[in-house]
Amino acid sequence: MSADNSPSPPLQTPLLLRQDFLGGVLVIAVAVFAFWQGADLPVGTFGGMGPGMLPKGLALLLGLLGALLVLDAVLEGGSPLDRWSIRGPLFVLGALVAFGLTIRPLGLVVAGPLAIVISAFASNEVRWGETLVFGVLMTVFCIGLFKFALGLPIPLAPWAIDY
Amino acid sequence: MFDLIGHLGLGFATALSPTNLALCFLGCLVGTLIGVLPGIGPIATIAMLMPLTFKVDPTGALIMLAGIYYGAQYGGSTTAILVNIPGEATSVVTTLDGHAMARNGQAGIALGIAAIASFFAGTVATLVIAAIGAPLTKLALLFGPAEYFGLMVFGLGLAIVLARGSVLKACIMVVLGLLLSTVGQDIETGQERLTLGLVDLQDGIDFAVLAMGVFGIAEILRNLENPEARDVVRGAIGRLLPSLADLRRAFGPIVRATGIGSVLGILPGNGAVLAPFASYTLEKKLAKDPSRFGKGAIEGVAGPEAANNAGAQTAFIPLLTLGIPPNAVMALMVGAMTIHGIIPGPLVMTKSPDLFWGMIASMWIGNVMLLIINLPLIGLWVRLLKVPYRLMFTIIVLFCSIGIYSINNNPADVYFTAFFGFVGYVLIKLGLEPAPMLLGFVLGRLMEEKLRQALALSEGSFMTFIERPVSAVLLLLALVVIVIAVLPAVRKGREEAFQE
Repeated sequence: MSADNSPSPPLQTPLLLRQDFLGGVLVIAVAVFAFWQGADLPVGTFGGMGPGMLPKGLALLLGLLGALLVLDAVLEGGSPLDRWSIRGPLFVLGALVAFGLTIRPLGLVVAGPLAIVISAFASNEVRWGETLVFGVLMTVFCIGLFKFALGLPIPLAPWAIDY
Repeated sequence: MFDLIGHLGLGFATALSPTNLALCFLGCLVGTLIGVLPGIGPIATIAMLMPLTFKVDPTGALIMLAGIYYGAQYGGSTTAILVNIPGEATSVVTTLDGHAMARNGQAGIALGIAAIASFFAGTVATLVIAAIGAPLTKLALLFGPAEYFGLMVFGLGLAIVLARGSVLKACIMVVLGLLLSTVGQDIETGQERLTLGLVDLQDGIDFAVLAMGVFGIAEILRNLENPEARDVVRGAIGRLLPSLADLRRAFGPIVRATGIGSVLGILPGNGAVLAPFASYTLEKKLAKDPSRFGKGAIEGVAGPEAANNAGAQTAFIPLLTLGIPPNAVMALMVGAMTIHGIIPGPLVMTKSPDLFWGMIASMWIGNVMLLIINLPLIGLWVRLLKVPYRLMFTIIVLFCSIGIYSINNNPADVYFTAFFGFVGYVLIKLGLEPAPMLLGFVLGRLMEEKLRQALALSEGSFMTFIERPVSAVLLLLALVVIVIAVLPAVRKGREEAFQE
């Protein structure tokens, strides 16, 4: 089934390092999790479907398709797994979380530069001074645009001023 | 015919009011500004900028959103030509000859012909929408739940066929999207489903959050891993206006591509993605000397750009007439409309004609504005593109955060965006394309509603889908496209088409 088979000898890749094998296992795991979470929902009948009919039905279907993908990876191989990086996701997602944590209590004045500085570390070309200046400038720009030009209710600095 | 003129008159009267004109302009401008940033396609741009429209009245908001959409589209083409980085799938084709032209010192002409082709296609597509909007709306009123369900299944079938990679993986992604759409309160009983006990999931997963995570954040993570040699065109942009000989060459492709794009755009299931590829392949086949393609053939820019824009615009048809979003961008439009209390569907046209026709007229005005904004501002976009990526992505992260937070003023949305960004990264790494998942998610709730209605009416008999001719035909079509895609011969051709 796998259409993006590369011409390289895919069956020589260890099973655990095959993209489709891991993908299929993950899909099955999601399906099992969803089914378990929806276990208590009543299914009803086709004429009067309960809230559980579709979540459970779809989870079953998803698990089945995931199993097909695993089977495909075992029999045909497929592409090997890519290299994963930790730095990028860690700092970019960290920046989002930091923004979410600080925006209400500390306001955009803090959350803005924080998001920029933290996310900057996702790149290995990061430079301290430049990033700080850029962070402050961009926060000023965003305050001007979102707060004053567009009037969105974003907290600015609730600890110092009223909004 | 008189109807059409009258409707368009009403539309232009609405769209040409100073406020709406200003909103359209602002939308096009910021849309282009964000859309020009490499790696940000229209979906992320709209999700990010949606809060800008919250304070405006519904008509103005939709006009502005449409402006943002066209701006983002055109911004993507600019990046494709100048930097060789496509903002999204549909501008991949433009990079081929557009960037080659830019390397040959014809960057200005490439940008100019892209703008002209988009304008022409946009004008025709606007007329198409105005002409068939009304009759289709009447047709839609005859649609029962079974027909709606059949149409959406057909849309998902197309989405599976149009996705890159294997059909099995696309099926998985569609089902995953459908499953995600069931999260939240049940439509009939209000019972909580798969919410993990989280209050923030009671209303389901917000589409903008999902789209921004999977398309915006995950894209940044992908770009960070490939420290691209960004090859921003150096030197002069050159003159923008193509010569008469260029125009003559580009005319045929533009007209053909507009036709292709208009038709494909109407299909549910994001047929518009196919349009630029189809146009490029066609022009290459028709050309006297196909070897010029890839080395800076003006037809290779004009055709795909026209097809892209026509499809982007006619994609509004299923949304405005049937209330079915054919792709992720239109799903964001649904979100924005719902926020303003408009339920997209056949009733919009009769209930608020000024909104309906005003939006259609503003599509054309938006196209004019793009021409006016972009050509003089190209110098600015070039300078913007020279900002190093190590700084640029940080500001994208901040814009995303502010945009997502502002949708509901809820920090939890930002966390969910981070989560879906991670999910998107994992999907990319596993070779699972997120686009079909998004469409499954988009259509999921409506499909469930229609399925339940249809089966309740038929007292649980699935025969209702076969006994009603329209739904039977649609379901059969869905089956046919998927079977065709799985057939070995076609599968090979499909792979080749995507490799190009």
